[in-house]
Order: sequence, then C-alpha cells, then structure tokens
Amino acid sequence: MAFAPRLLLPSRCPPPASSPARHGGRTAPELSGPTPRVVVVTSGKGGVGKTTTTANLAASLARLSLSAVAVDADAGLRNLDLLLGLENRVHLTAADVLAGDCRLDQALVRHRALHDLQLLCLSKPRSKLPLAFGSKTLTWVADALRRAANPPAFILIDCPAGVDAGFVTAIAPAEEAVLVTTPDITALRDADRVAGLLECDGIKDIKIIVNRVRPDLVKGEDMMSALDVQEMLGLPLLGVVPEDAEVIRSTNRGVPLVLNDPPTPAGLALEQATWRLVERDAMTAVMVEEQERPKKKAGFFSFFGG
Amino acid sequence: MAPASVAVSLSFRVVPPRPCRRRARWPRPIRASSDGSGVANGDRKVGALEGRVGDLRAVVASVPPAVAAIKKNIGLNFIAGFCLGITLLAAVARQVIIRIHERDNKGSVADLIRRGQLKSGQRGIAKPRVYDDPFNNPLVKIDEDTSTAQVFGKEYRLAPIRLTKEQQAMHQKRRSRTYQWKRPTVFLKEGDSLPPDVDPDTVRWIPVNHPFAAASTEVDEETAKQNVYQKDGVPSRVKAEHEALQTRLEASNNVNKFSSSQRNMQLSDRQLRLSSNESSGSRQNSLSGTVKNQNGQPTLESEKRSPDNNSQSKSLEEQ
Repeated sequence: MAFAPRLLLPSRCPPPASSPARHGGRTAPELSGPTPRVVVVTSGKGGVGKTTTTANLAASLARLSLSAVAVDADAGLRNLDLLLGLENRVHLTAADVLAGDCRLDQALVRHRALHDLQLLCLSKPRSKLPLAFGSKTLTWVADALRRAANPPAFILIDCPAGVDAGFVTAIAPAEEAVLVTTPDITALRDADRVAGLLECDGIKDIKIIVNRVRPDLVKGEDMMSALDVQEMLGLPLLGVVPEDAEVIRSTNRGVPLVLNDPPTPAGLALEQATWRLVERDAMTAVMVEEQERPKKKAGFFSFFGG
Repeated sequence: MAPASVAVSLSFRVVPPRPCRRRARWPRPIRASSDGSGVANGDRKVGALEGRVGDLRAVVASVPPAVAAIKKNIGLNFIAGFCLGITLLAAVARQVIIRIHERDNKGSVADLIRRGQLKSGQRGIAKPRVYDDPFNNPLVKIDEDTSTAQVFGKEYRLAPIRLTKEQQAMHQKRRSRTYQWKRPTVFLKEGDSLPPDVDPDTVRWIPVNHPFAAASTEVDEETAKQNVYQKDGVPSRVKAEHEALQTRLEASNNVNKFSSSQRNMQLSDRQLRLSSNESSGSRQNSLSGTVKNQNGQPTLESEKRSPDNNSQSKSLEEQ
C-alpha cells in the first residue's frame, strides 16, 4: 500500500508556526552545512515543474550571492537552458568534457545578469553519451567542482522524468533531494516511488515542493491541500507554489520567475523555498484556504462604485 | 468613493432660467376698422374670442388646481421613484463621463502600461522591489497572533504542519519495505552479453535508442575521468589532435625534404655523368633517364626536365 488514508493517521499537536518570525527582519538566509551542497531536483512524473523549480532555485540562490551550478541532467530533452535564457550560449557540454574537447570550466555557461549562476548541460540534444561511464559522469563533475579553486555553494541537478538511466545518473552524486509534485494522485504515486528509490540509495534528506496549488480549488475540496500531500508522502515541506500564469510568461521570456519585477505569488513562494533550502529548514505552517474578507459597511454612494 | 460620487453628482448644475430678453408678448389690441362692415366683423370676432376665453375659463375651473392635485396624489412611492430615477440618471451620467475620460487618456503611458503594451520597468516609473526578505515585505504580511497571512492582498489562514518525526519514520519504513532498490552502476546496451565480473543486480539495460546508448566511446574511463578533473591547460583531445597534426606535418615536411634532396642528388649525378660521358652512346643516356617518383613509380626524366635538353630527346628520336 503506497498511501495511508488521511483519517487513519494520528493527528498530533503541531509545533508552533515559528518560521516566519525566524526569518523576519533579515536580508539573507544563513547557509547551513558544508559546501558545495549537491541537491537533485526530481519528481518521477513529468511536467510537474522540476526544471522551473531548478531554474528558480538557482536564480534565487545567485541573487542571494550564493554561487550555484545548475546541471541539466536530462540528456535527451534538456530545457533548463531555455528557462535561464542561455540556449544560445550552450556550445560545450559535459559530454565534450568527457571526450576531452574542453575543460569543465569551459563547459560552464555563466549567466550574464546573475554572475553567481552557471549552467552545465549533460549533452547536446541529438548527441549520445558514452554508455560505459554515463552513470559516473555527474559524480565526477560534482567531485571536480568540489575540488575547484572556487567551489560553488550549491550544485542543483535537474533530474529527467522517470526512473531509468537518466534518473540513476542524476541522483548518483546527490546528498539531498527536492521532490517536486503537484497535488494530484498520479504525481503523488510517482513521487512516493521516487522518494523510496532515493531513500534506498542513501539520500535521506528529502523535502517536497508542492507545485501548482490552487487555493480556490483546495477550499472547494476539489484539490488536495499541501497538508494532504504531506500526510500522504510523509516528507517535510520545502515550499508550496501556487498556480500562476506568470510561470508561462517567464518561461517564454527565459527569465526566472524570482527575478520578476513586480514580484509574483509563485516567484515569492519559490524564493521562500530557496531560503528554507539554504537554511535546511522546512515549513511549519501552510496557507490552506482563502479567508472571506469582512464586508465593509455599504455607504450611500457605494452604488456609484464607492 | 463617496466624495467622488458626490463630486460627480454635483457636477450637474441646475441651470437657472435665463431672463427673457425679448419683449413680453402681450395680446395685441384688436384694431377697429374704419368701415361699417368692418365694425360688424369686429364685433363678431370679439364675441368669438370672448366665447373661447369663457370656454378656457370653464375648462380651467373644471380642472382642480395642480398644487392641490399634487398634494392629493403625492406619496412615498412617488418620492422613491423620483429618487431612483435621479440616481439612475446620475449613475449613467457617471459612466458616460468615465468613458469620455478614458477616451481622453487613451495612448498615454499609464494607459499602455495598464494594457500591458509597455513594460513599466523599462520606463523608469515602476516601483522598485522594496524588500529583501520574502517572508516579511509589503506583499507578504504574516500575522502570528491571528494565524493569518496576507499575500498579494488576499488573506489566508495559516494551518500548522501536522507531520511529526514518528510519522516521517513510519513512512520511511513503509517505503523501504515497498521499494527495495539498488542503484545500478553499470549501463549495458540491450542485447549485449553480461561481463563475467559484473553483478547482474547493478546493471541497467539501456535501449538502443536511448541518449546514453552511444555505439562506442573514443576515450577509456580513466581518460574520461582525467578530462573531467583537468583544471587548466589544453584539453586532452585537442592536445592529442594537435600533436597528431604536428607529427603528420613534420612527417610530410621530412618526406618533401627527402624527396627534394634525392631529386637534386640524382640531377647532379646525371649532370656529372652527362658532362663526363658526352661522347658516350645514346643507350647509356636512355638508361639513366628513368627515375622513381615519391610513390616509387618509374617516370621518364625527359618528361620532367626543361626543354633545354633537346639534344637528348633528339638523339633518342634519332635512334
């Protein structure tokens, strides 16, 4: 049985919602743990927002002056370069590094606006990676980055969908994982399976980001809430990202959502998730439903739009 | 909004009746004509007019006075209807004014930004981001006392997380029971034979059309690893290619040098022989005229030589 029914789970008294207070008044999160931290962003199911999350986490880290290398481990269908607006600058990949056509530092594409953000693609879309050491590629890359003169604070690996060779390659060097899921049953089943595989591989630090949440549907009980998702997976929450039309716009523009000005709800949620990731923190309270605003006393001129 | 609506409603001023500049129209005096028939006609007209006036007075007398009628018929319904009518009229007028105002502002920068045709950020009139903390800024307000959060103008209730460490451990146990997995470390193409020293549990079989299923690799594992770890200098393959090219170039240069020196030697020998044995037979000349090219194929020396050796060719032709 993959999921326990909600009602059978014992409800305990929760800890107080102290996370917002801890963050209040500061301008940057405190980096926790030794660097570089190798984080794989995975989901199992496709289309839940892995690449969007990776791009935004990386951009947000770079905005916080924490150097990050975003690795697109999707050998066949890479998209991270598009989301970061770097598609025209990727000429060398990890496959070229393996073949000895370039060095690793030459294959890293530095973002023009965010100097602390670098991108590494595993291979070009129509090229093939050598089979013999495909699974070891990212382990070597992460190790080489760790040994570099200026090692990055974070190595974010965008994992391909599924649990085949691409997944195996992507999770190989990871120490912690961000599991992205949407509040629907298909994504949850895959997320649970992926969480199981990650735990079998020794990755115990797994946090979930619940993406594309619609509070209005949650309120009408047409969608699972983030708390429901958490109860089903039994994993700490890193963030809850609301459904936002700006995601499509930012994807098409090649500018991560967290850089949007004015900020967007999804961008802010991803920024909050980044802060928690940096501090190895988890959510202590979630916004579950929209409250009705107290109605104002209607005046005489309210008829006119007042 | 109330003051605005007041202003809007007051914008309609009641126009006072203009004082009439024209001379008041008084009933013209009926002129009496000078002739007798005229007198008779005039009397008849006056009589008819008086009759009409009398009729009018009778009609006026029969109709109850307007004030009295209003006093009699006016009620709450009339007042409510009147007010409603005025209100509707004012609302319609307000909408008209707003539309006219919008039409006046069309094409302005503010209007273009509102319609999304212009990015406000590029115009320097956008409000900059005024926060560094995503948990506490003008767009996100968290009130812990009431457990509410105001995000982008909407209020949400904050529900505390219910997951405990025990529940987390329980889920981990469940998953470890359900998914027993060992990460594959060896990738093999489907159809390949399993090497004898490889554990079958650690093998991942890759379909032929997979991006990892390259037919063969030009570098071995150790070289690939060194390539990844290389920090500076020329990349190995580029270096190897360069060295190979250099070697080939040197080799070709050597060959050119060798071939050119060999040819020069042969030419000098020939010249010596020619000079020493000018009188010798043509048979000997024909034998010395064959040399070998770079590929070792025999060629006639006369074909390559300049046309100044006409004597040799002539002697051959003569034979």
